[in-house]
Amino acid sequence: MNEFKLLGEFYFCQLLNKPIYDKSGRNIGKICDMAVRWDGIYPQIVGIQHAKKVHELIPIDQIESCSYKEVRLKENFDREKTVTLHDTDIYISRWLLDKQIIDLKGSKIVRVNDITLSWIMQEDLQRMVLVAVDIGVRGLFRRLGLEFLFKNYKNNLLGWQYIKPLESWNSSLQLNHEKQQLSELHPADMADLIEEMDYKRRASFIDHLDDQQAIDALAEMDLEAQVEIIEQMDEQRASDLLEEMAPDEAADILVELTAEKSEGLLKLMEVDDAEDVRELMQYPEDTAGALMTTEYIAFSAELTPEDVINQLRKLAPEAETIYYLYVIDQEEHLQGVLSLRELIVASPSSTLRELMHTKLVTVQPEDDHQRVAEVINKYGLLAVPVVDEQGIILGIVTVDDILDILVPDRGKLDTYSWFALSKWGGRGR
Amino acid sequence: MNMIKNTRTRLGLFLAVMGPGVVTAFADNDAGGIATYAAAGAKYGYGLLFTLLISTICLAIAQEISARTGAVTGRGLSDLIRELFGVKWTFFAMIVLLIANIGTTASEFSGIATSFEIFGVSKFIAVPIMGLLVWWSVLKGSYSRIEKVFFVLCATFLSYIVSGFIINPPWEQVLLASVTPTFASDADFLMMAIGLIGTTITPWGQFYIQAAVVDKGITAKDYKYTFWDVMLGAFFTWVIAFFVIVATAATLNANNISITTVKDAAIALKPLAGQYASTLFSFGLLGASMLAAFILPLSTAYAVCEAFGFESGVSKSSKEAPVFFGVYTMTIVFGAAIAMWPGISLDLVMLASQVVNGVLLPPILIFMVLIASNGSVMGKYKNATWYNVVAWTFTVVLIILTLLLLLSTVAPAFMEFLMGLIGL
Repeated sequence: MNEFKLLGEFYFCQLLNKPIYDKSGRNIGKICDMAVRWDGIYPQIVGIQHAKKVHELIPIDQIESCSYKEVRLKENFDREKTVTLHDTDIYISRWLLDKQIIDLKGSKIVRVNDITLSWIMQEDLQRMVLVAVDIGVRGLFRRLGLEFLFKNYKNNLLGWQYIKPLESWNSSLQLNHEKQQLSELHPADMADLIEEMDYKRRASFIDHLDDQQAIDALAEMDLEAQVEIIEQMDEQRASDLLEEMAPDEAADILVELTAEKSEGLLKLMEVDDAEDVRELMQYPEDTAGALMTTEYIAFSAELTPEDVINQLRKLAPEAETIYYLYVIDQEEHLQGVLSLRELIVASPSSTLRELMHTKLVTVQPEDDHQRVAEVINKYGLLAVPVVDEQGIILGIVTVDDILDILVPDRGKLDTYSWFALSKWGGRGR
Repeated sequence: MNMIKNTRTRLGLFLAVMGPGVVTAFADNDAGGIATYAAAGAKYGYGLLFTLLISTICLAIAQEISARTGAVTGRGLSDLIRELFGVKWTFFAMIVLLIANIGTTASEFSGIATSFEIFGVSKFIAVPIMGLLVWWSVLKGSYSRIEKVFFVLCATFLSYIVSGFIINPPWEQVLLASVTPTFASDADFLMMAIGLIGTTITPWGQFYIQAAVVDKGITAKDYKYTFWDVMLGAFFTWVIAFFVIVATAATLNANNISITTVKDAAIALKPLAGQYASTLFSFGLLGASMLAAFILPLSTAYAVCEAFGFESGVSKSSKEAPVFFGVYTMTIVFGAAIAMWPGISLDLVMLASQVVNGVLLPPILIFMVLIASNGSVMGKYKNATWYNVVAWTFTVVLIILTLLLLLSTVAPAFMEFLMGLIGL
């Protein structure tokens, strides 16, 4: 039977500095700190530090009684009976109290204001375990000795089972999240999370994501964060991600890097992908050329809707948008356009030439974003093709690429020193 | 095209690392700063140039410590204070920071009020409107556009440099004064000296630069660029302050014109701008005050929330982050209220807040130095011994100056006796 008896429950901070007496009533010191071993879910107290800088600890099973007034030991104090600190043991007051706890999901950042302990008897063995962390205001003021001000507040406790063991003494505490839970996050939420992390956590976090998750999250970030992350990433991984990203986004990022760095990454990428990206990098910033993606869908005019639908199944995962299908000739001259809807409702025996619209709305690669936005808005489009003087299609600009530019990013102010950040980066955004 | 872009990018990257020190330096020469420099020059001539030089060196050291700590640990100052010193000390540090920052915010709003008064606009109109503008535009995220305007306005203070050269003061005397220690034990002089130190090295500046380094993701590896950025920033602060003091000393002090209000500091710009001197001055004052008024309340709110573990961020709603918005709003409201207090002298607010900053600086310095010399936090990047000696000496000197100020205000006779004893 795994029976246990609760001997007492304490707030750690209220035990601190309380005197320790041994059997003969001699004062042998005070509770300076306690050391814990954290190998199970609940960290267990190894012993009590009874004087500053003395690392011979009084073991828990020596305790006869424990209260907020004093601690009494079962026997007379004897240095022989103390335990020494293990390599992996941590002092509560020094390394756990006041630490930041980071919640990956809500990105809510709180602090360890206090810790609750349970003193239990299990199979004739006395143990003391850390049960929960106090993250509430009441705990904060208890530390200041002003708890009475917040008597009506409920304690805000966080069970220890939700907390991941420390990676190193200096690192922040992290909440336990199953990897699976993380993958259920929307990429935009994941992007927010990553953007709020410092660079060390960022790197380890992204290492844990698979390529697709990382790309989805990256796509949701603003350019500055993307550049920072790609810069700090291992080159091989960075080039893999860039390869899989939409070429226009990859180009945007690479343009911001130093020449050597971007050249190095391009060399690591597959030749085809690198070629697409290189082409896009040639256009000056803020023009349709720089905004466009080369991953549009185009077919020959002679195909029937049925052929097209079959091909679409293969092409769709790669393309940025499939709602517009462009019709081109052998030299890639844009001849017409039709929507996915028109394609689906069309009679299977017709050809694209009969279905397509030939009154085309296009932009030139050197048009600025203002002009592209006007066109998209005026004609109510989801994407607009970019064609050169000869009428050859170069790419398309989708409505979300334009929105990214037009809607100012409020999140950017969301750091402590937002003032210094973007403006001095000289990145022209 | 590609090449042009790449050069620009390289410059961008350079500037990206070269940021925090220079920005802090610019924001450092705010309303209270200019007021203090002008008053120091007008009243004591070149006498305080030596104090300025010393406090600039200490500024460089203090900023370097904070920037290095940020780069190595990746954490803010209030975060580290909380983890290393516990709740009580954190509470103390935050109270200190709050008082200093509310005082400084009040001085920014006084600067705003003064610059509008030059154009005949009452402070009871100017302060509430500008206060609301600051509050609203930060919350709505439209700050970045407005910011540029004030940054340009700020640059008008560079005109003091030009003015300084046009005036052509006795350079030999100026340079000599810069390296000759001058000291007096009366309350006025001590106040001025502490104010001068308090305006160059500020508690908020230390919190701010560390946070900026952390937010930029500058690591110990990139730190060498940041080091030069910090040095450049300190140099900037010194150049502006030096020329404001020299210009005011040569025009006002040399001709025995006593300065009655901060507006008189514009007289020092007459050689350059003639009848437009006041206009030029008021633009500069407005720009610098507004810039700092944007940064201060926000950085206060971030520091407090970081220390106590409250939700923070401008994009959060006030329900999600009540403490953050509470502190942010409160700093602006209190700051503006002090500046608008009927009958209060705006000049007094500007000067006094710098003295308050100087008095409250030592506790923050002590925390900083203790953290930066802690081996388990800083590893091999911890403070060198000689560095600590300099930092501690400066802290102790500042504490002594503060005590002397207290003493000479409360008991000037005793102070004279004391000074007589040590032969000053």
